[in-house]
Amino acid sequence: MSHIITLEQLKKTLADKISSGAQVVAPTLRGELAFFQKIDDVNQAVLEPRVRFQNSIKEFFFPRHETIFSFVRQGSDVQLVDAPEFDVEQIVVGARPCDAASLPILDPLFAWDYQDRFFQSRRAKSTVVVFACKTSDAHCFCTAVGGAPDSTNGADAILFALDDGSFEVRCVTDKGKALFSGKTQESDKTGAACAPPSVDFDVEKIATWIRGNFASPVWEEISYRCVGCGACAFVCPTCHCFDIVDEGSYSKGKRVKNWDSCQTVLFTLHASGHNPRATQGARQRQRMMHKFVIYPDKFNAKLCTGCGACSRSCGVSFGVRPALEELAKVANQSENN
Amino acid sequence: MENIYMPDPMEVVEVKQQTADIKLIRIKFRDPEKNANFKFNIGQFGLYSVFGVGESTFNICCSNSKDYIEFCFRKTGRVTERLWDVEPGDTIGFRGPFGNSYPMKEWEGKNLVFVAGGIAMPPIRCAILYALENRDKYGKITIVYGARTVNDLVCKDELDEWAQYPNVDVLKTVDVAPPEGTPWNGRVDFVPTVLKDSNITGDNAVALVVGPPIMIKLSLPILVEAGFKDEDIFTSLENRMKCGLGKCGRCNCGSVYVCKEGPVFTQADIKNMPNDY
Repeated sequence: MSHIITLEQLKKTLADKISSGAQVVAPTLRGELAFFQKIDDVNQAVLEPRVRFQNSIKEFFFPRHETIFSFVRQGSDVQLVDAPEFDVEQIVVGARPCDAASLPILDPLFAWDYQDRFFQSRRAKSTVVVFACKTSDAHCFCTAVGGAPDSTNGADAILFALDDGSFEVRCVTDKGKALFSGKTQESDKTGAACAPPSVDFDVEKIATWIRGNFASPVWEEISYRCVGCGACAFVCPTCHCFDIVDEGSYSKGKRVKNWDSCQTVLFTLHASGHNPRATQGARQRQRMMHKFVIYPDKFNAKLCTGCGACSRSCGVSFGVRPALEELAKVANQSENN
Repeated sequence: MENIYMPDPMEVVEVKQQTADIKLIRIKFRDPEKNANFKFNIGQFGLYSVFGVGESTFNICCSNSKDYIEFCFRKTGRVTERLWDVEPGDTIGFRGPFGNSYPMKEWEGKNLVFVAGGIAMPPIRCAILYALENRDKYGKITIVYGARTVNDLVCKDELDEWAQYPNVDVLKTVDVAPPEGTPWNGRVDFVPTVLKDSNITGDNAVALVVGPPIMIKLSLPILVEAGFKDEDIFTSLENRMKCGLGKCGRCNCGSVYVCKEGPVFTQADIKNMPNDY
């Protein structure tokens, strides 16, 4: 026995949430491009599974630009005003399973010793509903990093689109149950995700190679394909490196957290002029190490969900999957030698 | 929930110019209760901010027995350009203390060798001041400190004060001889050369070496030859940081986060880290 929700009922559920003051985030279209954004009217939402989005749901947990506090200078003293804490209910609907999977991966980072309330309060207030994938493309590689087209990691509920426009609902957490309670009908129809994307590289083997090859010339070689723009980090659901900068004037302003990218020269440039990662190769190495060695060392999880957003958005057809494929070649060679 | 990125407002108490482009600033918490309760360990660092301009990372370069914090900086970027202009009474921001520290307890009973070059004196100064305050707990103290010229020496007056303590050798040196007629009671040589001539030995001793990479590179073999083991040679690494809390993702050397697992490392630690500093 399954539970079915019609498209109309799903829309009504979201519309009711909007009326009750909740922040609802859903896929929307601008021309042909799909974006997750906060909606004010449920008819803005395009509620169907989709592979390509221009952004990740990450920004509704870890905004690209977020005020930490504001300040006003009063004579020689400075008054600091803390940023308000996020305290509205948030419903994120229509995420890809690989996008939602980033959330539990990022949890330990923001709770490591020091508790980052900005991420944590949004997490606590949010319910995440994913759509099981109906198609994959050449960029997808979730299967290589433990994901699947019907993965429920980070999801409170998963919806399987059915041919008649309705969805089979499978609740994962109490939050998911609360959202769909009384909204579904029992049925004998069940949904299914698409076949998992095929991959022909072994991420564990590559990670082992990375550990032993910090000084390999391969890093420079693969970086010739990278222009260092950092777009991959901005669309990545797991990239979380950030900058802290002041905005405003000397007398009045605010301090903000902004997304940053390890692919830019300035990221690690010392005031002295020394830069530990002075070449694009060193920066590509950092990116791949962070995802497949450092983060697993620190938090026992890969910092990659195999979503393919990086290579889909890359202006020069690079990204994590192409990099892994290149590294797989040398990892296999070194294993055979 | 507490905001971990929120600095405390600090009153600037004193500003001491050290060289043409280096100043030392003493600050206190505006909140007297916080000032009274603030504790840190020798070798830890903080993030100091000029509101409206930004934050920078510096070691806390005073001893932890005082009711103030001191830090030292070179005027070299956006934040330090503005820090240069602060005066007593002004307000700046502070977050910290962060990171690990020098194992001052474990060093008790041992001879201490401090080797510093240029602006790297401050991260060693805190350990020197602490050791001198607790003079009877430590053996012989040897301080080798050099800069490019006499005018580039930081804490110049203090060097002579430290030399007055019992069983303390202060070996000052400059790379370039001062113009004739300039008073200078130190040597004209590179730090590693002075270190080599200092008759130090690694028996029951630890060394703390902070300075430019070339100085460290040439000093290490001398320490090894003198009998120092990798576990007995300490340094304080610096890498660009934003949060200081292990989150912003830029100060790491491989899987080691300088802000959390550092900044203090032994030579043994560093040999196990990728060269990303």
